[in-house]
Amino acid sequence: MHTEAIDPPGIIWQRVSPKYVTVRLVEWALANLITVLLLSLPLVFVLLKVWKWPPLWLAIAVPSAALVLALWRLVLIPRQVRAIGYAERDEDLLIRTGIFFQRTMAVPYGRMQYVDIGVGPVERGLGLCTLKLHTASPGTRAHIPGLPAAEGARLREQLAARGEARLAGL
Amino acid sequence: MTAEGPRPEPEAPTTAPDAPSTGPDAPGTAPGVPAAPLYAGPAGTVDGEWLRVHPASPFVRGWVALAAIGFFVGRDVFERALQGRPILEDQFAGRAPWLLAAGGIMLLIAVLGFILTWYFTKYQVSGGYVRVNTGFIFRQQRQARLDRVQAIDIVQPLLARIFGLAELKFEVADAGESAVRLAYLSMDDARQLRATILARAAGVAVDPSRPDGPAPEAPEYPVLAVPPSRLIGSLLLSEQSVFVVLGGAASVVLSAVTDNRSFYFYLIPAALGLAASYWNLFNKGYNFTAAISPDGIRLRYGLLDTQAQTLPPGRIQALKVAQPPLWRALGWYRIQVNVAGYGGVENAAEGSARTTLLPVGRLQDVMAILALVLPDPGTPDPAAVFGAGLHGLDSDGGFVTTPRRVRLLAPLGWRRNGFAATDTALLIRSGRWWRELVLVPHQRTQSMALHQGPLARRFKVADLVLHTTVGPVSPRLQQAGVEQAVALFDAQSARARLARKRQTTEQWLAQVAPDIPPGDGGQVMPGPVVEPQPLVGPAETPVPTQKGQQHG
Repeated sequence: MHTEAIDPPGIIWQRVSPKYVTVRLVEWALANLITVLLLSLPLVFVLLKVWKWPPLWLAIAVPSAALVLALWRLVLIPRQVRAIGYAERDEDLLIRTGIFFQRTMAVPYGRMQYVDIGVGPVERGLGLCTLKLHTASPGTRAHIPGLPAAEGARLREQLAARGEARLAGL
Repeated sequence: MTAEGPRPEPEAPTTAPDAPSTGPDAPGTAPGVPAAPLYAGPAGTVDGEWLRVHPASPFVRGWVALAAIGFFVGRDVFERALQGRPILEDQFAGRAPWLLAAGGIMLLIAVLGFILTWYFTKYQVSGGYVRVNTGFIFRQQRQARLDRVQAIDIVQPLLARIFGLAELKFEVADAGESAVRLAYLSMDDARQLRATILARAAGVAVDPSRPDGPAPEAPEYPVLAVPPSRLIGSLLLSEQSVFVVLGGAASVVLSAVTDNRSFYFYLIPAALGLAASYWNLFNKGYNFTAAISPDGIRLRYGLLDTQAQTLPPGRIQALKVAQPPLWRALGWYRIQVNVAGYGGVENAAEGSARTTLLPVGRLQDVMAILALVLPDPGTPDPAAVFGAGLHGLDSDGGFVTTPRRVRLLAPLGWRRNGFAATDTALLIRSGRWWRELVLVPHQRTQSMALHQGPLARRFKVADLVLHTTVGPVSPRLQQAGVEQAVALFDAQSARARLARKRQTTEQWLAQVAPDIPPGDGGQVMPGPVVEPQPLVGPAETPVPTQKGQQHG
């Protein structure tokens, strides 16, 4: 993965598992297909002449717009997954996400209050997990999704050990 | 009304993070309650004893319910008497004794509930912890680590004030959102207990013969006061007033255009709401004074309900100085802060009052408060740097602003949006019209993130967000040039790391020797510069409280 302009220079990013794409695909399917189907219902009713309103063009335009948006998001998923990266530095953990809306976050080990591992049903099937870091600030939404379970456990232990060594007060 | 009183505490006991340590050093926390003296104030008692709150407190808390019952019964009787009807209908008259008896029993149960609630509410200060037991059906114990005390308030609602009682409320970083409350103590006891808690939290060397004895109250020196006239002026010129005027004008125009008067009727609730809000701000901001003591910043305010807040040194996570456009001509500013624990408050009005460090003040007041919050400004010329942060443009005061190429995105703000870093804090300023200066001490930086959207990428800029605890201040550096933003991201990480290393203990006296000028009572500016003395070793590092949770 090439580094972007807002990434600190000289960072070698660890990538998350490519299998995480599957998790995102399932999430995408659940969210978007249902939306598109629901939005298509008026079209069906209009075609069956049950409803007089909305006009046909509107009944077609709304679900197709939703479909195009959904397909656009679908195309982006692999790139978005490739854009997730993390790097363990000496004093903090860097996490980056996003292509269009990029975010690079630094969480100092001394500020981590606890580290969570979450596993969803799809992730469990693929042997993945999501690591969540918590500081005293609710603004720290530091998640690393799509980690292989072993790597997740290693990272958690590593972070916990480093955090304990450097834990500062609030 | 339940026997628990009208204001039951939130249920979940919040002892979780420290749970393992309760065992050995907390005798008497089990349901088998040790014999406690029936009532004794903290003053002059051996510490470590379990004490009770003032016996009148359940009635002060439950007076609303009693008053309501009295009001409804009284009104009914009065109305009937006025209409010449018998007080009881005929068919009830025969049962009157029974009804009276039933009412009496209800009242008795309520009073008994009050007494039981009082009897089972006990507190103790010992061994670095404050413990509070409440409830007699559902018992709960809260404990709070003293060195984690973030702020301590003495609150006096009107009725409690009449009886000379006060509620003590303290925020602890461990316990997340919940404050530990003690309602009510007599005013002297409350002050004494506050002094004891603060002394323990500060790490004051205690008398070895009586390690748990009460501590003397720390002296304090007034720094500033807000006269009522200025408070009223600030309310009249606040942002809210602008909307009131606009809304009023809009409704007049609308009624003229549509020739419809009836909708004035709908404005009545809005007007009532506004009046309540103005009253609230006035009531909370009245007689605002700030003082400094070795225990921290003392704020006192309130017209009917008074409150005295103490913010120990170094507990302020982030600070914002704001100046709405209408205040500019008068040179007024407002200061709000983030303090851990102040975020999760029950009602918004109370929260906004507690997070206000200065409701309205002039430039010298702002500088005085900044000097209190940041005893070491970390720059040789603080007046110039902070002044530039408050009303400067471009690069004066050493600020780095949004590059000129972004003036299309921020036509007004680009000369003002900027940051400056001193040795102890990061300053972020923004807003040509709504001027804002946000200050985050390096020690308090939690985590941070760079953000860049597609448009920002075209203009080669990025935003830097500093994460802080819940509160009115959300530090965000807008539209900094990418090179500067990335450089700041790195530099800020390094500065925060250094600051964390220098902060070796939570006990602030052990860390910084407070430098208070001798008390001449007058307009004392706080001591010029207190150099934080890094004291040594890893041995001083506080035991991490969240150890148990660390492994998720």
